Amino acid sequence: MRIIQFVLIITLVGTGYSFAAGTRYELRVDGLACPFCAYGIEKTFIQTEGVESVEIDIKNGLVIVNTVEGIKFSEDKLITIIDDTGFTMKSMSVKPR
Amino acid sequence: MMVWVKRISLLILTLAVFIVGVTYLFWMPSPQEAPYQLVKTWGGKGEKPGQFNEPTGIALAGNEIFVSDSRNTRIQVFDLDGNFKRMFGEQGDAPGQLNRPMNLTIAGDELYVAEFFNDRIQVYGLDGKFRRSIGKAGSAGGEMSAPGGVAVNADGELFVADFFNQRVQQLAADGRFIRQWGTTKKTGVLDGRLNYPTDVAINSEGVLYIADGYNDRILAFGPDGELLHRWGGPFAMNIFGPFNSWFATVTGISIGPRGDVFVADFYNDRVQKFSAEGEFINAFGIESTAPTHTAIAVVEADDGSVFVADYANHQVQKWQPGE
Repeated sequence: MRIIQFVLIITLVGTGYSFAAGTRYELRVDGLACPFCAYGIEKTFIQTEGVESVEIDIKNGLVIVNTVEGIKFSEDKLITIIDDTGFTMKSMSVKPR
Repeated sequence: MMVWVKRISLLILTLAVFIVGVTYLFWMPSPQEAPYQLVKTWGGKGEKPGQFNEPTGIALAGNEIFVSDSRNTRIQVFDLDGNFKRMFGEQGDAPGQLNRPMNLTIAGDELYVAEFFNDRIQVYGLDGKFRRSIGKAGSAGGEMSAPGGVAVNADGELFVADFFNQRVQQLAADGRFIRQWGTTKKTGVLDGRLNYPTDVAINSEGVLYIADGYNDRILAFGPDGELLHRWGGPFAMNIFGPFNSWFATVTGISIGPRGDVFVADFYNDRVQKFSAEGEFINAFGIESTAPTHTAIAVVEADDGSVFVADYANHQVQKWQPGE
């Protein structure tokens, strides 16, 4: 019985997690030290549909974009968004949340 | 053959020395006064009254200093010794609410706040009471895209550093478009174009000073709109550097009570002081130990004290002229 409960809990937690999960994009961008630049990128992503939150990691030169469940961005779209703010995306990594 | 090689080498060396000498004399001027002294700092990172989370603007009225506390989405007010007096603003986009306030200007008994995220200029009484809002998001005349700074002339007209629209707009007091400098949405260093203008200031003669942010230069225009002066590195042509009178991203500009021009030279972690015509007078600042930089906005008081919004250290610096 305990085994069934355990499996049930793990299944529910796992299912819940996957329902809540979006995607985390870590975009490497040079020149984030200036707030005019960093705020511009942050503002543009906040206004992009499907974005849940944006963080700027100045120390590591990263723009971290978290999307809502079911939303994924292509690399081209992310490059375009960064380009529109006057910067160039150097690289990116994608992680499930 | 050897003689000719020697002569040519000597000629090249002489030319190089001449060029370096001319460059030094014309583009790396020496300070014209004693060094400024840092007398006080206050703040530190946090949310409590008197603390900051990324200060981005500063202005002065009488014996009060107003600071844009950008990520805390509020304006804080201090006396000239750094004692906290009051604060106002809360996050949002309703009238009176704030989202990333940037450079500030005080005209008469009103505080003008450039709001980067809400694409507008908001006007408050010095007591913090909201009075009116000017502009909305867009790129048509009178609309804005991430305004970074604002200045107000004697007639109450506004000059707005319209950052992402690559222009400075002159607006009537009611927000009606009058004219602009720069080409909307086009960056450039020639043909009157701007490159992410961050701030503006206007002096008592009606001369408009534009902090042409990523062009690393200052442009000064007369009341008729004609270019009077420009400076910042060789030929003011987007050549950045750490030398006197050179810049590395200008983020704030203000006019002191005696007409001097103070420029926040962000990536060089310093303030530079110039005459109204752009002659270099002095430079001072705190080097950054953080991944970002210090001097982002600056204002001078009547007694010559200079207050600097220090972005990297989340504080205000107070400087006084040297003896």
